[in-house]
Amino acid sequence: MKTSFIELKGRERAQALLDINTFEEILDPFERIESPHLPAQGIVPESDDGVVIARGTISGQPAVILSIEGSFQGGGIGEVSGSKIAGSLEYVLKDIQNGKKIIPVIIFDTGGVRLQEANYGLLCISEIQSAIVALKRHVPVIGLIPGNVGCFGGMSITAALCSTLIITETARFGLNGPEVIEQEAGIEELNSRDRRLIWDTIGGRSRFETGLVDQLVEDDIPAFKKAIIKAVTEPDTISRTRQIEHYLSLISQIDLSVKNTKTDFIELNKKKKTEVKAVLENKPVEGKGRTWFTILTEGASSISEYPSLLVADTQFEGKLTRFIAVVPNEANRFPRARHGEVGLLEGWAIAKYVRQAIDEDAHKADKRNIVAIIDVPSQAYGYHEELFGIHYACAAGVDAYASARISGHSVTGFIVGNAISGAFLTHGMQASRLVALNDPSINIQAMSKESAARITKRTIAELEKATQKVPAMAYDVASFNALGPLDALVTITDTTHPDSVDIQKVSAALGKAIHKADDTLNQRLETPNAINQGRAYSRLVRTKIGEQWN
Amino acid sequence: MESFSFTTPAKKSVAKRAHIGVVGSGDLEILLEPGTSGTTIFNVRTASEGFKETWRAVFKRFTVHHDIDAIITINDFGATPGVVSLRLAQAVEISNQTKK
Repeated sequence: MKTSFIELKGRERAQALLDINTFEEILDPFERIESPHLPAQGIVPESDDGVVIARGTISGQPAVILSIEGSFQGGGIGEVSGSKIAGSLEYVLKDIQNGKKIIPVIIFDTGGVRLQEANYGLLCISEIQSAIVALKRHVPVIGLIPGNVGCFGGMSITAALCSTLIITETARFGLNGPEVIEQEAGIEELNSRDRRLIWDTIGGRSRFETGLVDQLVEDDIPAFKKAIIKAVTEPDTISRTRQIEHYLSLISQIDLSVKNTKTDFIELNKKKKTEVKAVLENKPVEGKGRTWFTILTEGASSISEYPSLLVADTQFEGKLTRFIAVVPNEANRFPRARHGEVGLLEGWAIAKYVRQAIDEDAHKADKRNIVAIIDVPSQAYGYHEELFGIHYACAAGVDAYASARISGHSVTGFIVGNAISGAFLTHGMQASRLVALNDPSINIQAMSKESAARITKRTIAELEKATQKVPAMAYDVASFNALGPLDALVTITDTTHPDSVDIQKVSAALGKAIHKADDTLNQRLETPNAINQGRAYSRLVRTKIGEQWN
Repeated sequence: MESFSFTTPAKKSVAKRAHIGVVGSGDLEILLEPGTSGTTIFNVRTASEGFKETWRAVFKRFTVHHDIDAIITINDFGATPGVVSLRLAQAVEISNQTKK
């Protein structure tokens, strides 16, 4: 007889995987480290904020399991729950660097960012991602997607970063949920009630057959245990997010005149690596990303082969610096990525050019700086994007930026326009330092106002009222700054047509940030705004975990 | 969200603390901790507003059977009185188990 793993709650799942009587919880419910942001909005919190940190052994080997409770707020990641995962992974990394052997396991049952905590969710998810990239250089990081909620949003990018992913047939795994795509792109793009199509696109079996996950298991506790042991004893040699050439070649060969299915994906996987180059656009679309790219590179021409990604190396503030910007391309082969969104192509292309810098500087003591110029309206919402794994394209970008940072490049983000959701996670949030223009038209958020209102079942007026109490839900750059992630907020006279004084001011602030950038994201938690109020709970959670860790 | 507390005199001590349930649709989370005040204290936060009297009735019934000196914290996400009673009974059962 089978014993279901899926039917178990988050805590029971962790208990079921660990050897009998070895389960030990860190920050258990009686510690009452719950979300302060939910009661402020009239929502009942949970005493563990929906994440269980469990330690014990799996087949005798020490393990840390981070289990997300899908029944609480859809497994949404807030400040406390996100910091529990990020903080634990940071302690696992320290232990491993000190020679300990630990198997890190994350059980994903999450819709992504908890919209009531919005920008906290985004920040925490980027910190979890940073920890996974650092950790997987030493040890396989194992992800489980058993099902119920499945794994979506920013957390699908997180899962895509894992060394090994284990899924069941009852789990769905994608960046944007079908309902969100239908909302954003219309029913012609994707009918969210077409169950067969949905499962064939983002269902566990389809993900396994198309090579996006490593193991498909039955819903049986021993099967999960066996799969974890297999992941430890036979780790994969090449991470999926490093297979940049393969995926760039693959997506260049997709016939977009027809609606592709998983069968097409499987066939494309077998094709030889021959990247078909798209026709270059003739007329560049104006925008803040391009404007600032041109200014900061002093008009250098882009070395990128993709019109929607600008890349140039230039001397900036006395040092060789690679600037990267995602820009609109009206002729983009992918119709859902024509307005500056981060789509399949953009994610993999970012990875290509960041990795290129890492590889070229691998043996140099002095590595070039990397600056991401950020003006991204969102990730691309589309059927083909989901089918061909846009979350992996995003993860490839995340992995590349984080790897650059860890291998000694100064990585800085410069927010000149919108910085939204998965696009911001991919392009900018792995920067050690962030600088933003103090421009009231800039939106920094986990989701557009309209979608956030629909999904949290509130009117836009109610949503706006809630944002007054919770700065993490607000859309403006000043509120984002209040959370502490910015190194500098630069006020200039004209953000779209800056004069020489403006440019000098920006260059000085950016130069300073680039100079200070280190190989972690830790500084975000150490700014005056973060300490005062902005990241109070992120800091508290890490301190508390530390107290109980040894 | 609505918050309220109830207190009832109680005598018996409980062996250890107990945690049960999740704050998911139609369910609730209970944290039961041994008390020292000679009362059962119920601290409730519930997503369903306007049912204070129903809670009072459920607790009254509970305290008739379980005369425990304890602090019971409840985070509720729309559980029915039946589910509440079941979860309370489970919490007491765990708190009386002798093994850790």
